[in-house]
Parts: sequence; C-alpha cells; structure tokens
Amino acid sequence: MADTEDAGASVSEPLDLVRLSLDEIVFVKLRGDRELKGRLHAYDSHCNLVLGDVEETIYVVEEDENEEEVTRTIKKQEEMLFVRGDSVVLISPQA
Amino acid sequence: MLFFSFFKTLTNQTVTIELKNDIRIRGILKSVDQYLNIKLDDVEVLELDKYPHLSSVKNMFIRGSVVRYVMLPRSEVDVGLLEDATRREAANQAGKAR
Amino acid sequence: MSFFGFDTNLPRDRDRGPAASRGFFENPDPFADIARATAVEDDGIDFEDTYDGLGDQLDDDQDAFNDDTFGGGGNAGAGAGAGTSVGRDFDFFGRTAEVSNAIDEEQMRYALQNPQAARAPPAAPQETYVPAQHAAEPTIKRTGYEKYSDPGYIPDLQAKSSVWGIAQEKREPSPAMIPTMPAASRKMMSLEEVEAQMRNRGQAFGPETTQSIPQTMPDMSFPRHPQGLPMLPDGFPANIPPEILRAHLEKGGLPPHLAHMADPRAMYGSPGPMMPGQPLQQFDQNNRPPRDLPSQDPRHAGPPPVQRQHVPPPPSRGPNGGLPVITNTEQLIHLTEEQRNAYLMEDAKRAKRNHKIFLLSRGNGLMTPQDKNFITRIQLQQLVAAAGNVVDADPEAVLAEDFYYQVYSQIRGAPRQHPHQPLGHFAQTYLLQTGNRISGHGNRRAFHSADNHMQRMQQQVQRAVEAAKAKPKNKQLIIEGSLGKISFSNAKAPKHMLNIKRPDSSEGIRPKKVQSNLSIGDRKSLLGNIEAVYNALMSMEDMERTMPPPPEEGDTEAIQEHLEWRQKVQSLNQKLWQALKVMEPIVPNSTTPHPFIAFLSYPKGKKAIPRIFRHIDQEQRVTILTMIVVHLDTLDVVHLAQASGPNDSQLPVAVREAIDLFSLAVMPSLLGYVNEAAFNIIIGLLGLVIAQTQVLAVARTKIGLGILTMLLSRAEIIKEAGQASERDWQQWVEKFNVLFDMLEPSLVHIFPGSINSGDDMYVWQFLAAVGIGASPEQQQRLVIAVKDRVMETVSYSKSLPADMSSQRLGNVNLFMRAIGLDVDLLG
Repeated sequence: MADTEDAGASVSEPLDLVRLSLDEIVFVKLRGDRELKGRLHAYDSHCNLVLGDVEETIYVVEEDENEEEVTRTIKKQEEMLFVRGDSVVLISPQA
Repeated sequence: MLFFSFFKTLTNQTVTIELKNDIRIRGILKSVDQYLNIKLDDVEVLELDKYPHLSSVKNMFIRGSVVRYVMLPRSEVDVGLLEDATRREAANQAGKAR
Repeated sequence: MSFFGFDTNLPRDRDRGPAASRGFFENPDPFADIARATAVEDDGIDFEDTYDGLGDQLDDDQDAFNDDTFGGGGNAGAGAGAGTSVGRDFDFFGRTAEVSNAIDEEQMRYALQNPQAARAPPAAPQETYVPAQHAAEPTIKRTGYEKYSDPGYIPDLQAKSSVWGIAQEKREPSPAMIPTMPAASRKMMSLEEVEAQMRNRGQAFGPETTQSIPQTMPDMSFPRHPQGLPMLPDGFPANIPPEILRAHLEKGGLPPHLAHMADPRAMYGSPGPMMPGQPLQQFDQNNRPPRDLPSQDPRHAGPPPVQRQHVPPPPSRGPNGGLPVITNTEQLIHLTEEQRNAYLMEDAKRAKRNHKIFLLSRGNGLMTPQDKNFITRIQLQQLVAAAGNVVDADPEAVLAEDFYYQVYSQIRGAPRQHPHQPLGHFAQTYLLQTGNRISGHGNRRAFHSADNHMQRMQQQVQRAVEAAKAKPKNKQLIIEGSLGKISFSNAKAPKHMLNIKRPDSSEGIRPKKVQSNLSIGDRKSLLGNIEAVYNALMSMEDMERTMPPPPEEGDTEAIQEHLEWRQKVQSLNQKLWQALKVMEPIVPNSTTPHPFIAFLSYPKGKKAIPRIFRHIDQEQRVTILTMIVVHLDTLDVVHLAQASGPNDSQLPVAVREAIDLFSLAVMPSLLGYVNEAAFNIIIGLLGLVIAQTQVLAVARTKIGLGILTMLLSRAEIIKEAGQASERDWQQWVEKFNVLFDMLEPSLVHIFPGSINSGDDMYVWQFLAAVGIGASPEQQQRLVIAVKDRVMETVSYSKSLPADMSSQRLGNVNLFMRAIGLDVDLLG
C-alpha cells in the first residue's frame, strides 16, 4: 500500500496535492478573515474553486461596551459556490 | 479555460455574486468571458438599503477581478463531470508545463 | 487675496489689452474692452465710492501664511507684472497657454530652419471627398480642391512617403489583402503578428491618416505650414496665437519664404502675400465638415459645422461689425487704437475658439475608417478565439479547452455553439457514462435514482417470487393455521420476544474502527491511488473514442492499427487494475483495511465503480465482487451503519450519504454482474459471507442485506430456470441453512428503527428472497420471527394516505407472497 509508483497521480507540484482532495472536504482560508469548508469539485491553476455544501465563517473584530476587542464569527451556508482564486490564501485537505 | 467553460453552462441561470467589497448582487448570468468578467441582467442588489446608489441598476458588467464568490444553483452543476473536467485541466496544465 | 479667482484688481489697475498672455481666456467677454475703448473708462460704480472702509478694521495677521498655503507670492504668473500675479494661480489654462506659445514658437523656428520639409506639398487629397457639395458653394475660390468637382477625376493617392522616412516602394501589402489575412489564419494571432500587420497597415495607410488632419484642423489666423502635420500633436501650427502673429506682422510681415511655404494655395497657383484676414475664408473652406466620409465616427462631423456658423462673424455682433476688413498689414497699422484693440480682441476670440476646436478634434483623422475597421476586426478575432468559438478547430483541442461545456451541453441538451461539430461520438461515449453517473445533481438529489436501484432489486426479487410460485412447494401454508396459530400461541410468541438478545447482537458487532485510524500518509497514498484510477479511466475512455474501425480482411495496415490499439487498451487496463489495488494480499485481522476497501470508502472511489466495470473483463469483475463480499463487514457502509438499537434509526448524515452513494454507484454494477453469474460463483460468494464476515452485523445494514438479497434471489432464479445441477443445489441449500440459522434469532433486529420510520423496503425484499428459498419449516419460522412487524405494518398503513399505504403494504406483500400468503388475507 505504501508503494505509489502510479505515474499518473504522483504528487510533483503543489496543485497535485489539491487534486487529491477533489470530491473531498477541504478547508480554504481566504483574504479578509474568511474561511470556507466544503467539498471541492473544481480548481484551476489560479486557485479558482468550486465548492459544494460550503460553510463560510467570517471573523469580525468588534469593540464591546468596555471597548475591548471581541471577535465575532458569522457563519453562512451555500450549496454551491465559485470562489475567485485571488482571494484564496490556502487550501488544506480536511482529514 | 476550465472555469470559462464551466460558467458558459450557467448562462441564463440566476446566480448571486458577492464582490470583494461585500456587495451582493443577484441576477441572471447573461454572459461570461475568458477573464470571468460577467454580465448580469435583471439585477437585484441584496441589502439594497446599504447601497442605495445601486437601486436603479438593471443590468451590469462585473469585472472578473472584483468578484469574491459566485453562488450557483446546485441543480445546474454536474459535479462528477466537473471533477473530471478539473482532472483533465490539471493534466493539460501538466502537459503544457513539460 | 481672492480665493475665488475673480479679479480683485481695482479698475484703474486693470491692465488692458490682450497683450498680457493669459491665453484665450483673458477676457470673459471679449467685447468688454471694445466697449471700454469707446466709452472711455466709465464703470458706473467706482469701487472707492462704495468702499466703507470696514475692511481696514479687519485683523489681517492671520493671513500671514496664506501664501504658503495657497502658493501665492510675488513672482507667480511669470508672464505678467507683479500687479497681475494675484489670482493668476487659479488660471491654470493661462499657464498652459504660455507653454503652448513657447512650443509654437519652437515650431515656427523649426519651420524656418527646415524649409525643405516644410515645402513638401500638403497632404494628398482626400480620396473620399465628394465634389457635389462643393459645387453648391460657388463663391469659394481657389481651394485647391477644384479638381474634385470633375466627376471623372481620380485623385492621386500617392502619399508623401518621406514623411514616414521610408521609400515608397516598401508599401507592399495592399489594403485589400489585409482583411483577408486574419480570416485565412483562423487562429488567434500572436502579438507579434498583430503588430506586424499593424505596421504594414501603417505603411500602407499612414499617409492617408495625415490627409484628414488638415481637413478638420482648426485654421488659425496664420498660414498653415504642413510641416509636422501627421503625428505630432504638439506640432500643430494652428496654435500660433495672435501675439506672435502680431509680432511678426509688426516686424513687417512674413518673410517671403515663410509665406511661400506656409501657404498651401501657393501649390495651386495662388501667389500673393498671406494676409491675416484671408485665412478666414480659407479656414471656412478647409474646415468644411467631411460629410461625405464613410466614417461612422461622429467626431469627424462634429465641430466643424459649429465653427462655420461663426465665420465670418455676423455684422450685427457689436462694434466689430463696423470694423473695416483688414487686408494687409498697413491697414492694421493705420487703424485707431480702439479699432486695433477690437480687432485683436476679435482675433483672440477666434483663436480661442479655434483652439477649443483643435482640442476637440485632436484625435480626428488619426485613424481612417479602414484603420478602425481593422482594429475592430482584430478585437473581434481575439474575442472569438478566446471564446473558443473557432468554427472548425480541432475538436480535440476544443475538448481539451472546453471539456465541461461541450459534454455538459450534450448531456443537458443545451444548444451547443456548433452543433455541426463532429463531437457526436465523443459526447455519446460520455453521455453513457455521465448519464448513468451517480449523483450528477449532487448527493441530496440522488434519492430518485436510489429508488430506481431499489426497484430493480424489487424486480429481481419479484421474478424470483413469481418463479417460485409457478412451482408451488409441496405444502402451502394455511392462513388461519399459520398466522392464527402463531398469534394466539402464547407459548411460542413470548419465547421469541425474549429472543431479543442484546448481548448476542452486540457480540455480533465486533468493534473494528479501522477506517478512522488512517494515518495522514495512508490517506494521501489512498487518494493518490484513486486519482491514478481516474487518470487511467479517462485515458481508457479517450481510447474508446479513438477506436479504429474494425479492420477489413487483408488490410494489414488496419489490422496492425487495431492490434496496436488493443495493446494500448490492454496496458491501460493493467494500469487501472494496479491502481485499484484489488490484488493486494488480504491480511487477516489487520488493523488497516484492505486498500481496495479503503478505496471504496471514499465517495469518489464509489463513484468510479460503474466506470471501472465498463472497462474490465468478467474475471476482474468477479474479483472485485469477491473482494467486496469478503470484506463486507469492513465496508464503511456496513460497519459505520450499525444502528446502536432498533429504535435508533438515525445514522449520521455522512453515513447515510455514503450508503445512498453506494446503493447508487456500486450496487447496480454488482447486481449487473450477479445477474449473469454462474451458480457456483453465487454459492462461493454466499460461502464467503458466512465464513469471512460477521453475518449479523452485515444483516443489520441496508447494503449488507442488499448483497445477500442479490445472491439469494439469483440462486432462486437459476434454480427455477433449471440451470442448477443437483450437486450445486445441495451445496447451496447447505449454505442457505447455515445462513438461516445464523439470522433467525435476530430477524426482528434487521428492521431499521420503528415502523413509522419508513425505509424498510429492502428488508422485505430480503425476507422475500429468504422466504422463497426457505423450506416449509423455515418459512414457518420466518413468519413467526417477523409476524409482529407484519401486523404492525398492516395496521400502521391503514393510517397512511392511500398511496403510501399501498406502497407499504406492497413491500410487506412481496414477502407474504414469497411464502404463499397475502396481506389482503389478513383483513
């Protein structure tokens, strides 16, 4: 099982790692304190993505009444989402 | 060209586009180009009270680079085919690189 | 200090006349000074008279830094004295105009120093000029365009090539060629190609470009010198402001050679000194709107008509109307001061207007309509190329670039951009796969197809039931006898009730949490395997598409081709088979699952099965089936699907999705194989289930029961078809009996949850399959084991809407009829 002499699927470039996560749940970090978790259906060399059943988490820093900074999270659900690559910071397989 | 090809199949579907400045616009995807610039018809700006200046806009051209998300109708996406298309694109890219 | 830019000078301080170079905007009202010239200094209200002196009381200390802030200062406004500097800072155009004066002076100097270049004829005649309009204005004389009134005249289009620094002979690409070139090469042109074309184009049409400039160029009250006309926007001689003109005039008129080279009419036999008044007419002439140009560009036709309205100025306009027509320098000198001022004023105004027109028309004529067409064509071409709209490009290339769209359009029947493209075969191939492809619409939408699978299973069982009924067993059960007896036999029923042996069943579920223990490395290599499988699959699908036609006999070349193709397919098959890892040795009691089973635990592994089955032979299929059966209890869809109790039907969403996907993707392929499998294989598989797996655990899951149902019903069909040998049948019955005995105690527990949870169809199918094969004695035991569920379901279905009720009853009845009963008989 450890042998991976499969020429077709050898991991030689960074994006090949992303390919392994096709149709798997991935975690995506975006600019603007946003994170996504969803099933990866498509990607390209610009890191444009299509994710299914996505949960978006937005971190908002606010000041409470004591003027202390409080991080609030907003969560949103999307059934199918195209993500423009220039917002993507990292893509990680969600094991 | 994967996503250009992909978006072409979504023309005349209703999509919601979230821009990088948080404005969200729902409309009918009329056309798309290789830069993923998008033309929307029958536009409706969500949370219009925040962006009253957009209230009279009925259709628009959106430069691809300002898009953050496009929310798509799941029923119009063939996930299996899309994954295969992605594999092919990856293979094409690898082929070109060599 | 004025913040608002209005003139704060006292009237007496105002310096009069246009000499101060503030550009053309010197006087907001050009006639104001003329008026002043006649009505000597009568401003009506004198500032000193109205000033109440309050301003003197103001504390001006705070103004100390105004100059720093606003950039004022004594030496601003270079062109004028310190008195006029205040407020000049806000007149940005004036500064610009000064610079432009300097440029114009440079221009003049250049023209004088390079009479050679300047003496060149004015740009070639406009080829599109139409004479008819010209003839309508007979008062205009000697325009240089007279020849055009002759309808037979064909203008000489030889452009002055020296302007471009190239020999005329080099203009080789004919204009007619240009448009055809892009069409010939349908590919997207490289940047170099486009540039090259544009350069050629420039050579061919460049001079033409120059032609249209003089046409719309504003004509200042100074002779134009054609030097530097074409591409030098800063070289517009038209800009020469009246100040310079006057300077020259006062020095005694133009130098003869300048006048000569400057006057275009000289070329057309119109000698004589060029007087400032005359260009007005000429200007009118030269600025005639090029109405007849085919150009669509409105800018061509824009400004010129406007300027025509003003020239010559209507006599009714102010004192100017009374001015004598100035035809030579002497006249100008002899005018009164006021008249001269008024004249110069008027001149400045004209220059200002002309400058405006110049600004508006700056881009005019830089491109001919042909140039514009050409650029449009290039842009369209790039768009077309980018859109993959190439009419007859290589379909392979189109597919590579536009795979998703092309295949999607075929599947969904969307109108394709090029229906005539020979994509049919390819898309057809893919249609088969993608059409059957599981979960094309997303997992949640897959239930419809899952039902289809269940219906197929139902049909299979029904066939078995019907076949069994055709050959009735020796002893039919009697309704009252069986059900009545059982229901009132309190001696038996409690015993069975007590058979709910929790310890027993939990013992059956050997906790074997292997799947979740995968290390990262394993996971990565597994996913790598799956991607390798997909690579091989896609290659094989491509191969299928490129299959050469079956060779004719004797056509050795075709036979050779075919052989090579087969070899490639064979090697791909090997690649696929290796990537699947089906043949990896089975390690008993291993904590890590077999790689193929791990493969099946990923959604994309499950989804690949139908595609894999299309490309492998029967032997490989039975190997896969065997592998699945041997590991039945370690399949994720089985070992994760163990309900913790009979009332706990709610499995985690992920598990339910996995089960649906397995039913959808894997089961049909397996069923397809089993339906054609020989009896010995079925017997062998059943033996494996009994020997290798935790049967009770298997039986408590939808997938496990589904596979058992598959095997049992197939065996029954084989038997009823008379294809089973006696020896085989004996073997089968042996195995069946073992299975029955194992399952009997927990038959109650194989139902998922309570009655109203609904999805128990597969259980009835299984019971029906067991019922057909069972001996009469076994059937009786079967009925006893599940009779409560039967009764419950029947009574429950009465509370359901008609369609749901009949569906539930139908499920039960499948089983009832398998053992020779019917729910209707239960009343």
